[in-house]
Amino acid sequence: MGFLITTLIFLVVGIIASLCVRICFSRGPSTNLLHLTLVITATICCWMMWAIVYIAQMNPLIVPILSETE
Amino acid sequence: MGESRGGGCCPPMDLMRSETMQLVQLIVPMESAHLTVSYLGDLGLVQFKDLNSEKSPFQRTYAAQIKRCGEMARKIRFFKDQMSKAGVLPKESLEKESDIDLDDVEVKLGELEAELVEINANNDKLQRSYNELMEYKLVLQKAGEFFSSAHRSATAQQREIESEDSQQAGDDLLESPLLQEEKSIDSSKQVKLGFLTGLVPREKSMVFERILFRATRGNIFIRQTVIEEPVIDPSSGEKAEKNVFVVFYSGERAKSKILKICEAFGANRYPFSEDLGKQAQMITEVSGRISELKTTIDAGLGHRDILLQTIGDKFELWNHKVRKEKAIYHTLNMLSLDVTKKCLVAEGWSPVFASNEIQDALQRAAVDSNSQVGSIFQVLRTKESPPTYFRTNKFTSAIQEIVDAYGVAKYQEANPGVFTIVTFPFLFAVMFGDWGHGICILLATMYLILREKKLSSQKLGDIMEMAFGGRYVILMMSLFSIYTGLIYNEFFSIPYPLFAPSAYDCRDASCSEATTIGLIKVRDTYPFGLDPVWHGTRSELPFLNSLKMKMSILLGVSQMNLGIIMSYFNARFFKSSVNIWFQFIPQMIFLNSLFGYLSVLIIIKWCTGSQADLYHVMIYMFLSPTDELGENQLFPHQKTVQLVLLFLALVSVPCMLLPKPFILKKQHEARHQGQSYAPLDETDESLHVETTGGSHGHEEFEFSEIFVHQLIHTIEFVLGAVSNTASYLRLWALSLAHSELSSVFYEKVLLLAWGYNNVLILILGIMVFIFATVGVLLVMETLSAFLHALRLHWVEFQNKFYEGDGYKFAPFTFIFTANEDE
Repeated sequence: MGFLITTLIFLVVGIIASLCVRICFSRGPSTNLLHLTLVITATICCWMMWAIVYIAQMNPLIVPILSETE
Repeated sequence: MGESRGGGCCPPMDLMRSETMQLVQLIVPMESAHLTVSYLGDLGLVQFKDLNSEKSPFQRTYAAQIKRCGEMARKIRFFKDQMSKAGVLPKESLEKESDIDLDDVEVKLGELEAELVEINANNDKLQRSYNELMEYKLVLQKAGEFFSSAHRSATAQQREIESEDSQQAGDDLLESPLLQEEKSIDSSKQVKLGFLTGLVPREKSMVFERILFRATRGNIFIRQTVIEEPVIDPSSGEKAEKNVFVVFYSGERAKSKILKICEAFGANRYPFSEDLGKQAQMITEVSGRISELKTTIDAGLGHRDILLQTIGDKFELWNHKVRKEKAIYHTLNMLSLDVTKKCLVAEGWSPVFASNEIQDALQRAAVDSNSQVGSIFQVLRTKESPPTYFRTNKFTSAIQEIVDAYGVAKYQEANPGVFTIVTFPFLFAVMFGDWGHGICILLATMYLILREKKLSSQKLGDIMEMAFGGRYVILMMSLFSIYTGLIYNEFFSIPYPLFAPSAYDCRDASCSEATTIGLIKVRDTYPFGLDPVWHGTRSELPFLNSLKMKMSILLGVSQMNLGIIMSYFNARFFKSSVNIWFQFIPQMIFLNSLFGYLSVLIIIKWCTGSQADLYHVMIYMFLSPTDELGENQLFPHQKTVQLVLLFLALVSVPCMLLPKPFILKKQHEARHQGQSYAPLDETDESLHVETTGGSHGHEEFEFSEIFVHQLIHTIEFVLGAVSNTASYLRLWALSLAHSELSSVFYEKVLLLAWGYNNVLILILGIMVFIFATVGVLLVMETLSAFLHALRLHWVEFQNKFYEGDGYKFAPFTFIFTANEDE
C-alpha cells in the first residue's frame, strides 16, 4: 500500500519536473528531448534506489538487536 | 560517411550523436587568403587538413612570414622577462586589435628592443663602476685604519729606538716593530718597500697568502682585515665575503709576481697612499663620486621603468596579435597553391550546420580585401571518417571531457555521455551516501559556481583548475548525495526519524529481550529510506551488508542492460541488422537469463520474506539443474523456469559467436560479385580459412581476422557478464567504508571529547573532528568514490556498446591557452 502510493508520488514528481524543465529551458526539439531524457533517467534512478530499500525492509529476516548500553 | 542517416525511429537528440560533418573545399584568391583565414579563425568551425604535409617547414610558401612572427615573439618574450624582473605587470588593454598593423608592430618592437638593450648595458656599466668605488672606499677605510694603528705603534717604537740612536730608512719603514731586534743596519743599502692594497674573496684568502709567501720566498709581509658585511663584486654582480689585504714587498720582480697572483685570484687592487692628508682627500672624493653615481643609476633605472611601463600597456595587445598572425600563417602554409598560382585551395572538416556561416565569412573576406573574385565553397564526397563534434555548453562539457578521456566516440556512434550526466553522479552518491557531507560539498561547489565569472578569468593552480572545471559535475554529485544520504539515513553517521517513527519496537513492555533476540516490526515499513533504529545495533552490519550487496547487483544489472540497449540503438542507426539479430538479442538473452533472473529472485525473496538461500539457488542451477529445490523454492514451477533459462543462455553463446562472421563474409561477397575466389570449404571452421581470405578490390576482408575478433568479443561478453556484475559490488564496499569511517569519527572523537565535560578538550575534539571529516571523508572519500564511479562507467557500462576510436574535432580558432608557446 505504502509502496504504491510512494511510487505514484515519484511518478507525479517526475512529470512535474519534466514540465518545469520544458517550460523554463525550452530550446528547440532536440535539446528538449535531451532534457526530458535526463529528467526521466534521474527520476528512475531515484525511484529504484528508494524502492529497493523499501522492499528490503518490508519482510525482514533479521531484526535489530540492540547493543548493551553502558 | 556522413550520409548514412539514422533510422527514423527516434527523433534526433542533442549530444546523442556527433554533429554531421562534411569535407569542404575552399578555393580562395591570393589577395583575400589572409583575411579569409582570419575570419574563419574567428568563427572557429573549420578544421583544416594539411595539404602540404610532404613539404618541410622551410619549403612552405609562408616560411619567411613565420620567421618574422617568430622574431617578434622572441622580442615579446624578452620584454616579458624584463618586465617580470623589474616587477612591472602587463595591463589589460582596451583597444581593438584589428586597428593595429603587423608591420607597425614589428618596427615598434625592434625600436623598443634596441632601446631596452642599450639601457640595460649602460646600467650594467654604471653598476660596475659603483661597485668598484664601494670597494675602493672600503679599502681606504680599512687600510687607513691599519696604517694609522701601525703608524701609532711605529711612532711609539721609533721614539724608543731613536733614543738608542739608530738610523732607520725614511717613512717607508713602518714595520719597525719587526726590526727592533736588528741593531746593526747597513745604512748604505736603503731597502725600498712598496705595498699593494686591495680586496680578496674570503674563501681564497688563506691560499692567496700562502702562494704569495711561497712565490716571493717569504720576502713579503701581508696583513688582512675582515670586512663584516658582504660586498657586491663588480665583475659578477653578486655579494661576496671579502677581506682587505695589504702586501708589503721589496723589488720589482716581487711586485710583478704579486700583481700576477692578484689577477689570478680575482683580487681587485686599489691605489692607496700613506699620507694621512691624501687619504682623507681620497675618501671624500670617492664618497662624492659614489653619491653621484647613485643618482645617475637611479635615474637610469627610472628611465627603464618608464619604458617598461609603456611596453606593459601594449603588451597583451601585441602578444595576442603576434600569436594570431603566427597561427594564421601556419594555417596558410597548410593550403596548397593552385596550378595557376593565383589562388589557394583549402580542405577541411566542418559541421553541416555551419555552411552558411562559412560562406558568409568567405564573402566578407572577399569584400574587405577588395578582391575582384569571390571564394568558392564546395562540399566533397569522401570515404574518410570525419572527426567527432559534440556541441556542449558549460554544463555538459565537463561530462563530455570525462567520457572523451577514455576514448573519443567514433563518428556518429551513440554517446554514453548522455546517460553519464545522470548515472555518474548517481553511482557516486550510492557510494557516498551522507546528507551532512552532501550539504558540505554543495556549499563548496555553490561558491565556485556563484563566483564563476571572476574565477574563470583568473589563473588558478592545477588542483583548483580541475575542481573549478568540474563544478557542475560536483554540484550534481552533491545533490544526489543528499538524496542517498536521506535514504541511508545518515547525517554525519547519525540517523534521524525524519519521516515517521521507527517501524520496530520491543516485544513486550519490559524490553527485556531487546539485546538478545531483538525488536519486532510493529508498524508499517519506514516510508522513506532506512529505518533509524538500525544504527548502533548488533545486527546492523548483517542486515545492511545484505541490503547493499543486493542493491549493487540490481543497479549493476540495470546499467548493463542500458548499455546493451545502447548497442541496439547503434545497430539501428547504422542499419546493421546482423548486429541486432546476432549480437544484441543473444547478449540480452544471456545476461538476463542469468543475472536478470538473479535480480528477479532477489525481489521475490524480499517481497515474500522467504528464507531461500540465493547463492545455493544460483550455483545449483548450473551444477545440478534437475534437483528438487526443497526449501529454496521461491515460486511455483521454479525448476522448469530455471531449466528453460539455462538452455536459453547456453544456446545464445554460439549464436553470438558463429553466424556473424559468415554473414559478413556473404555480404562482402555480394558486394564484390564476379571478383571472388572459389567459395569457402566450410567443414572446419577456423583452421582452413587462413589461406583463402584475400583482398577483393579496395576493401580487405580477412575471414580469420573477423572470426577471431568475434570470438574475443563473445568470450569477453560471457566472462565479463560474471565479472562485471561482481564488479558492481564496489558500490556496497565503498558505501560501507564511508559509513564506518563517518561513524568512527563521530563516536570516537566527538562523543569521546563530549564525555570529558571539559571545554578545552571539547574544542580540541571538535577541531580534530572537523579536520578528519574534511580531510578523510570530504576529500579522500570523494576522490575515491569519483574514481570508482568513473571506472564503473568506463569499463562495465561502456564495454557493452562503445567503440570510442574516433578523433576529436579540433577547429582552427584564436582562443589560446595561457601558456601556449609556439
